[in-house]
Amino acid sequence: MKKKLISILCAAGLAASLLAGCAGQADHKGAKKESDLEKVQQKDDAGEASVIVTMPTTSEPEAGFDPAYGWGAGEHVHEPLIQSTLTTTTKDLKIENDLAVDYHVSEDGLTWTATIRDDVKFTDGEPLTARDVAFTYNNCKEKSTVNDFTMLKEAVAVDDKTVEFRMTKPFSIWPYTMAIVGIVPEHAYDESYGQNPIGSGRYIMKQWDKGQQVIFEANPDYYGEPPKMKKVTVLFMEEDAALAAAMADQVDVAHTAASYSDQTIEGYSLMKVQTVDNRGFNLPALEPREKDGITYGNAFTSDVNVRRAINIGIDRDEMIENVLNGYGTKAYSVCDKMPWYNSECEVEYDQEKARQLLDDALWKEGEDGIREKDGVKAAFTLMFSNGDSVRQALAEDVSNQLKEIGIEVTTEGVGWDVAYDRAQSEPLMWGWGAHTPMELYNIYHTLAQKGIGQAQYSPYANETVDRYMDEALKTSTLEESYELWQKAQWDGTTGITQEGDIPWIWLCNIDHLYFVKDGLRVADQKIHPHGHGWSIVNNVDQWSWE
Amino acid sequence: MRDKNLRQRVLIGLIVGAAILLAICVGGLFCAEAAKTSDFTRKNLPPCLTYPFGTDWLGRDMLARTLRGISLSILLGIFAAAVSACIALLLGIAAATLGRTADAVITFVIDLLLGIPHILLLILISVALGKGFAGVAWGVALTHWPSLARLIRAEVMQLKESPYIQIARKLGKTNWYVARKHMLPHLLPQFLTGLVLLFPHAILHEASVTFLGFGLSSEQPAIGIILSESMKYLVTGKWWLALFPGAALVMVVVLFYAAGENVRKLTDPASVHE
Repeated sequence: MKKKLISILCAAGLAASLLAGCAGQADHKGAKKESDLEKVQQKDDAGEASVIVTMPTTSEPEAGFDPAYGWGAGEHVHEPLIQSTLTTTTKDLKIENDLAVDYHVSEDGLTWTATIRDDVKFTDGEPLTARDVAFTYNNCKEKSTVNDFTMLKEAVAVDDKTVEFRMTKPFSIWPYTMAIVGIVPEHAYDESYGQNPIGSGRYIMKQWDKGQQVIFEANPDYYGEPPKMKKVTVLFMEEDAALAAAMADQVDVAHTAASYSDQTIEGYSLMKVQTVDNRGFNLPALEPREKDGITYGNAFTSDVNVRRAINIGIDRDEMIENVLNGYGTKAYSVCDKMPWYNSECEVEYDQEKARQLLDDALWKEGEDGIREKDGVKAAFTLMFSNGDSVRQALAEDVSNQLKEIGIEVTTEGVGWDVAYDRAQSEPLMWGWGAHTPMELYNIYHTLAQKGIGQAQYSPYANETVDRYMDEALKTSTLEESYELWQKAQWDGTTGITQEGDIPWIWLCNIDHLYFVKDGLRVADQKIHPHGHGWSIVNNVDQWSWE
Repeated sequence: MRDKNLRQRVLIGLIVGAAILLAICVGGLFCAEAAKTSDFTRKNLPPCLTYPFGTDWLGRDMLARTLRGISLSILLGIFAAAVSACIALLLGIAAATLGRTADAVITFVIDLLLGIPHILLLILISVALGKGFAGVAWGVALTHWPSLARLIRAEVMQLKESPYIQIARKLGKTNWYVARKHMLPHLLPQFLTGLVLLFPHAILHEASVTFLGFGLSSEQPAIGIILSESMKYLVTGKWWLALFPGAALVMVVVLFYAAGENVRKLTDPASVHE
């Protein structure tokens, strides 16, 4: 009997240690971070105007701080800090000049000419000329895989101060591209530029400990207003580690998620930043068909009345309360609050009307409470990316809410390796939101050469919508283009809104949440785009301590 | 218990253990729906009378999820252990009886597989098969046979040379007769014990590979998913998300281990002397 007892204990020990082994890795990493934090802390006792900010580990630019590989101009756009840009976006997402003193576009929209300041120097002392600008853009066009530069044919330096962008097609929103591409020095650019970036921006990258932290110092020769914050340290860590770091009083700004928002940390307060970081799901607007082994379209969601019923059958307020603890705003489009947003996208939650729509479209309730029509069940699978707890919770809530109007939604976690192909026939919980109207184009415009010639991410096609967007890209001023982007959403008769084709359902914009140390004045933020990372430090130069 | 002999006590222990495991499996079958139902009105509840294991951030009943997760693990364990044991039996016997070359090849494969960390191979197989239940099941099934195969090979080789089998052959008994009447009964205890002892390994490896994100997808109530989700909330003091499912997993592993020991005692003639 004794032997048995010992063996049982051994087995228990074995099991525990195996599990601990898995958990141990994470712990170890955390411990390592902590010791680094202490180092940072000691350095900062010098008493300069410095700040320590945490960011998700995914924010660390894998290929370094090179715009050609996505720094600033990648999937998540932000100001590149180290480099300066020709233009910059204002708080209301319009455009103002930075390096450029003037820019204009030719009549046919095929040539953009920009004149730049002549008093700007890189941090190595060399002057920044139009040749550097041309080099940067040509380099991006050649190498960038994360951002689209296909509309650019070539950039040419006419003289020291003037650069000409020759386009392959009219692209009226070029200033938004100019706002995210940091200018690199031609003379100091090689393959390792991303590791030791030289720029003309507000900050100089002093130190980069990969997997841990980046330290920036103010550029003393900056041509604009000198940065108030002299030193910025960015630490990369997961949300739970960031929370622990804030609890230990080791960071000044800690990014966090809604699920941690009920925590109170002494000496810190919760700051929320409005975003266009939206979540929504696609509804394939096409009868199913197959091509190259991929199914395009969905029999249930191809009915426009179904899509309309879903759009007004979802109580977004309840969803924000349930999933985001109230930290979010209702979303009706991919570009809420942007200058190119059309407020016609807004709808009222109306469950009764949703039921009515389905009844009228002959989706009749069966015995199990789920609707049916001609043998097709009112059901779909809503996918979300594995491990994203917010998207999972949103999907669950959609499922619960749509059940009330007789639609059965099954949720399923998937990896991004299969998600894109499957989303052609099944709804997927997406996250979008960028500081450029191009996102409307990417989501709603058809692509003749890809897939089955419909919109890229979810089958949808509407010639009128396409035409407005094509025209918007051909206008000579941004103001005109805003109007056309809005018309693409709803022109009074057709579009992508509730009364139109409604091929995507938008649920909410997720507030970006931060624990901010008392006494730190974080400057007003412009509406953050998708991505909980670098946007917060867009204006770190204007932060200050009380 | 004192008035019962060892054999009877072992039998009782085995039956009780099996009954608990069966109860978990049956319980798991019945809460398939409950384990997936989310209800935001009851999210993040600590353990109480209605929800003895508490609820998570989607308002899912952790008791139902734990039961379902464990039963899923057991199911997977049964499949994986059965396949593994069959492979082990076939290869073990083949190595011992089909001559030198076959033996060399099989021994090499066994050594090769034992040389690679289980979890690594498991992840590779699981990912190659597209993750999910099938991926993990085949991953576990195809990685757990080498040690048992080696045991069976050694056992059969020893048996082949033993006097009573040599005599049986000299008496003109067929191979099939020798295998059926002499070898199998002798091998059975080792095989059964080995089979049952594969379970805890299989279950723990399933949990690990899912925990690491290479197994079942995250809407499934698998124990590895539950534990990895709970990691995010431990820092906010939601201890119940990890404690109960973790303890339940350990308990099941211990039960299987005890059952394996009991089976050995019942079937192995040598244990009479203990």
